[in-house]
Amino acid sequence: MVKKLLVLVGQAIPFWFLVFQSQTIRAQTPADFGKEWRFAQYLSDKDAFPEAIYVLEQLEPLIQTAAQKDSLVYLRGWLAYTTKELTVAHQKLLSVSVSSPFYARSRYFGAYCLVFAGNRDSARVVMETLPIPNSTFRELRALQLAGVALLQRRYEDFDQHRQAFRYTSYALVNEQNRFNKYDSTLRAEKHRSPFVAGLYSAILPGLGKVYAGKPKQGIAAFLPILSLGLLTYEGLRKDGPRSTRFIGFGSLFTLFYVGNIWGSVLSVKVKRNEFKREYDNKILFDMHIPVRSLLN
Amino acid sequence: MITRYCLICIFLCVACSTNGQLLPVNQLHLADSLARAGRFFEAGIAYERVLFNQPDSTAQLAAVAGKIGCLKQQGRFAAAVQYINGEVTNSYSDSTLLALRHDQITCAYLAGQFENSLSLLERLPYLHPDGPTETPVMSVVRILSLNELQRWPEAAEAYRKLLANNQSDTLSTPYRQLPRLKSEQKAIALSTFIPGGGQFYAGKPGEAMLSILVESAGLYFGVTNFLAGYYLSAWGVGAATFGSFHSGGIRRAEVLVKQYNARQAQQFNAKVKSELLKQVGQ
Repeated sequence: MVKKLLVLVGQAIPFWFLVFQSQTIRAQTPADFGKEWRFAQYLSDKDAFPEAIYVLEQLEPLIQTAAQKDSLVYLRGWLAYTTKELTVAHQKLLSVSVSSPFYARSRYFGAYCLVFAGNRDSARVVMETLPIPNSTFRELRALQLAGVALLQRRYEDFDQHRQAFRYTSYALVNEQNRFNKYDSTLRAEKHRSPFVAGLYSAILPGLGKVYAGKPKQGIAAFLPILSLGLLTYEGLRKDGPRSTRFIGFGSLFTLFYVGNIWGSVLSVKVKRNEFKREYDNKILFDMHIPVRSLLN
Repeated sequence: MITRYCLICIFLCVACSTNGQLLPVNQLHLADSLARAGRFFEAGIAYERVLFNQPDSTAQLAAVAGKIGCLKQQGRFAAAVQYINGEVTNSYSDSTLLALRHDQITCAYLAGQFENSLSLLERLPYLHPDGPTETPVMSVVRILSLNELQRWPEAAEAYRKLLANNQSDTLSTPYRQLPRLKSEQKAIALSTFIPGGGQFYAGKPGEAMLSILVESAGLYFGVTNFLAGYYLSAWGVGAATFGSFHSGGIRRAEVLVKQYNARQAQQFNAKVKSELLKQVGQ
């Protein structure tokens, strides 16, 4: 009887070891999370971004507290920002909670990623609630909001936000001055009409493109149409209106003439988009530099 | 039965006493087994984990070598160059640093960074004045990099040195017959004065015939229309066709010569590469 009891106790020992070990591992989880998170950051510091993302993905089941979740989404968002996955970046960075030590950094970079990804209205809402621990950050927030206002061509909003510019912080003064220049240039932009461009090209082929701000394209369009016009005239003069020569060159002339009118209409839109893209890129660049300088 | 029971207990005791975490040596074994299983990405992370835990110098070196091996197996040679850049700043022994730099030079060549591999090779004698910097493999990398950059006289010199070191016949080198490259200027000049001439020179008679045909058609149309009194058509169609195809033919001849020269260089480099492998293999 005693022998049987001893055998039973002996067989139970491995079970109790397992129970004890599982409790030990459960108790260690926060420490393991911290170590794994630091390991992911170590990989990120060594520019091993795919490896760091892989480690963070493996870490998700270990999350137990809100602080751990914040740390994880912050680092995942930061890696996405570094690898230019802007959608993932703003989703992750903006989900960091206010109690996290990474909150300010996450909000500023998340808002920037949002605006860079083209979600300007959402970015404006986020930027209005950006944390402002001191006067420099008050100016930084104003600069970000002014940048979004310029991107949306809301000049009254820009005027309102630039009231907060003091032009004293080394990290902001150049960008503030440049924003003022962009504001003047954007306000002075001439809004050319596609209809007028088409009309000009109907009067003189290529003139619409010159009006749209593409003089070289205007000359390049004028010369072949002039040549075709002359060839058509020659066919008419020498062989008459029913000749193959006149009909052939006349058809080509008509095709090029009408095509050029349509091209002039489009060139106004193309030029407008080019101008918009050029200034949008400048504004986005100048929004990014101070965020990196002050929060890196 | 009792033995098995005791082994289970010992295993569980060890697991508990190590707090459920792998020791650096075990982590290294895990990384090695992942690498052996062909899971190089995961193995690379496991080697990094060993380094992150700051192991002793032997395990550290093994982990660094393993990580470089994993990057090479994944074909991430540029990443390997960058990784070794970070590692050579550590305080390893001179021989280890030299081995790492040799690896970096090979990776730079494999990543297509030929200028970089040559620059790294040039720095070796200054960084390791006592070490054997110009090993046979490094000589091969130097020759191949010089070949890729078409610096054949320097490559020939390096090749002769390698043969001399191997005590092979220095007279029978592939550099005695360098590839005959064609002149782009000559092709341009030929196409300017003889329609299709540049294409013939570049070894493309079909394209040359087509160029001659189209340019002749334009010229014929221009002349006949001029003679018939259609001066505008002669100019606007005949001369325009001839002129545009003529200038296009000149540019095309230049492109064809470039393509021909690239092919010749590639064939020559492949020939040198196979000769080199034979020499180093001997």
